[in-house]
Amino acid sequence: MAYIVNRLLSVALTLFLISIITFSITNILPGDVAMMIMGTQSNPEALAALRQSLGLNDPVIVQYGRWIGGVLSGDWGVSLLFREPILPLIAQKMLASGLIVVMSMTIALCLAIPLGVWAARHRDRWQDTTSSTVALLGLSMPDFFIGIMLILLFAASLGWLPSSGFIDPTEDLIGAMRHALMPSLALGLGLMAHLTRMTRSSMMGILSQEFIRVARAKGLPERTVVWRYALPNAIGPVMTVAGLQIGYLFGSIIVIESLFSYTGMGWLTYQALLNRDIPLIQSTVFVIAAVVMLVNLIVDLLYRLIDPRIRLG
Amino acid sequence: MKRREFLASSALATGAFGFSLGTPTRLWADEPVSGGTLVWGHSETTQNLDMHQTGTASTSRVLQNIHNSVVTINREMEVVPQLAESFEVSEDGLSYTFRLRQGVLFHDGTTMTAEDVKYSFERCANPETGAVNFEVFNDMAEIETPDDQTVIVRMARPNAPFLSRLAENGAGVVMPAGSGDSQGTNPTGAGPFRFVRREFGNEVELERFDDYWDGPAFLDRIIAREITEPTVRLTGLNTGELHLINDIPAERISQVEEDGNLQVRTWAPLNFDFVNFNHNLELFQDRRVRLAFDLLIDKEMLLQGALWGQGEGTATPSFPRDAARNPDISHRAQDLPQARALLQEAGYAPGSLSVVFKVTTNYPYHVESAQIIAEWAREAGVNMTIEQLTWADWLSQVWVDRDFEMTMMNFFTIWESDRLYYSLFHSTGGFNYRGINDSLVDDLTEQARGEVDPDARIALYREIQQHMFDEVLDIVLWYRNGSIGAQPSVGGLDTLVHPNGSNLDFHKVWLRA
Repeated sequence: MAYIVNRLLSVALTLFLISIITFSITNILPGDVAMMIMGTQSNPEALAALRQSLGLNDPVIVQYGRWIGGVLSGDWGVSLLFREPILPLIAQKMLASGLIVVMSMTIALCLAIPLGVWAARHRDRWQDTTSSTVALLGLSMPDFFIGIMLILLFAASLGWLPSSGFIDPTEDLIGAMRHALMPSLALGLGLMAHLTRMTRSSMMGILSQEFIRVARAKGLPERTVVWRYALPNAIGPVMTVAGLQIGYLFGSIIVIESLFSYTGMGWLTYQALLNRDIPLIQSTVFVIAAVVMLVNLIVDLLYRLIDPRIRLG
Repeated sequence: MKRREFLASSALATGAFGFSLGTPTRLWADEPVSGGTLVWGHSETTQNLDMHQTGTASTSRVLQNIHNSVVTINREMEVVPQLAESFEVSEDGLSYTFRLRQGVLFHDGTTMTAEDVKYSFERCANPETGAVNFEVFNDMAEIETPDDQTVIVRMARPNAPFLSRLAENGAGVVMPAGSGDSQGTNPTGAGPFRFVRREFGNEVELERFDDYWDGPAFLDRIIAREITEPTVRLTGLNTGELHLINDIPAERISQVEEDGNLQVRTWAPLNFDFVNFNHNLELFQDRRVRLAFDLLIDKEMLLQGALWGQGEGTATPSFPRDAARNPDISHRAQDLPQARALLQEAGYAPGSLSVVFKVTTNYPYHVESAQIIAEWAREAGVNMTIEQLTWADWLSQVWVDRDFEMTMMNFFTIWESDRLYYSLFHSTGGFNYRGINDSLVDDLTEQARGEVDPDARIALYREIQQHMFDEVLDIVLWYRNGSIGAQPSVGGLDTLVHPNGSNLDFHKVWLRA
């Protein structure tokens, strides 16, 4: 318990530091949100009036204080560009991205673990080569390319899946999953490649250890040796990588989100940055950082469940 | 309406607006019917939904259906009444009297009165609102509302373009008094459709407002899905998920037209594009240098190369249907030897002049244009370097800081001559990011602003255009086409595009059962 409290405290401290760094960097960037709102419809007087009404003329420290005070009191403010309250906006986009992240990770793990185990069991034979080739294909094809191919196949030619868009999973789960399937596949196939290689090398290490030889010598069925004895010992590094990928995914799925007009956290962060919408930039970076750290904490806790030899703290 | 009459009226509407019918005679002789939900694949994300505060063409395109203005423009670019039944301008140009329509209802159920107009104008004029068009009311002294149906705007000095500036929703929109704070997230107006919801970054839903003063729209509902990726938008139209899309990728228009399965409409102008010089630099204060750059561009080839021919060449930025457009100006032909000679004469021997051309990746065809122009520049002995900037960087470096040598930009919906010429070319104009400082342009634009006789104003604007062309203040390239693709089931497409060339008006659009 003390371990969890300590970790949570360090998460809070890191988030605070991240918020200061983000705020400083975004204030150095050229341009501001008033300029982006008006675009080429602005003139110096109108721009000055708008800056005043948005509070951009206040000292940076005052602007930061306003934001952090709001976050602590549960009022995350309003996006300067879109005039939408930030907290519900982020909740909605986290739900959208969360669905894709969970689905793509499920697809990736369901494919990668069997494929990696299969390759490790048949090291240097055709099964290993096949698995490596599949992984290499996944690694070398960019996800947006896979995405376009999927759209052409499943939406344009076969008409099985919608080509773009998002449906709220709390309103229609099946519809939401249908819309999320192609983006998840595009991401999942790329992820799968990493995880397959990870599973393979980790399994190879375990399969060459003494206790596996003993298990085989005892006459245990190969299936039990691999899945019951080897895999739980080999899965740790795979989970670490998968955990890191989940955090990474939330911020980096912008390309796939744009391609499928599936507007989630990646898209929102990108829009915020592009438009210099500082409160929104702050809040999205804050949330993504928090998710990355919390997922890593959960992965560490899961280690303990899978492998009781690991002690935390 | 008989088939022959319908064909004739369609052809008239099409001709008047410069439409080209992409699909081989896809005119339907059927009558409009009510009902149905139209799914529109919108090319951009909507931003702040407050009509006063939004400066983007993308958001205005949606808000056009929610709001009406006191006055509007017709296809001939004339100011005509909308929420006002009639208007009157005093001879000295110092007072504008609007008689409002009786019984106009807002979406919140209240009836429009003179107080709402007063509220809306004052809200726009108040600098604290952050309205994009607040300067329209700079010369306004006071607003009187003698009764519920009459609004009198008194001016401190004559401002000839005032009325036509009110024809854009950004300035002339009427919102219910006191609704300002909620307009950004829940826009309420007196237009043909009522705002239902926005799933931010995803879609906007509008429903028919049955009590619309000009008769209810045909469609029950419009879902504007925001699909910014052009290919995916087109795929959605092809698969039938979408009824209609705007902005077909330029390189795909001819293919979609040839397929013949969809209706295609293209029109000019969506906007105009021009190449700019920084007049604050000594280099570009020399007319010979500006002329040399004009002469090294083959405008027709550039239109084909960068825009796939989806536009129409023009040497003046005035709207094609604007009476003030000078019909006598046309592009100079490409003449590389002459360009080289002019540069030599100005003191720049071949190879000695280096220029940086800043373009924004927000408009990919600007990058392509710059690449083609750089090649011609090289042939004329100029080393041209291209710097590609994000939209934020372009706005910051070029628009605000004026830190550039050459650049390229476009403008949407600037059809009103004062806004166009005073803002963009007067030495104190708000949009004069090129630092143009030409005393004749200043004199003429000021005269035109105070000139209440329409014919005299037209003559002044034509003179300005001739002078700008002679002096090569900028190189105006083309009007870029707008485009729409639609399923055969969509009727009334010819009424969809607003006269300003950018907004879409769904009032008379309908779906075949």
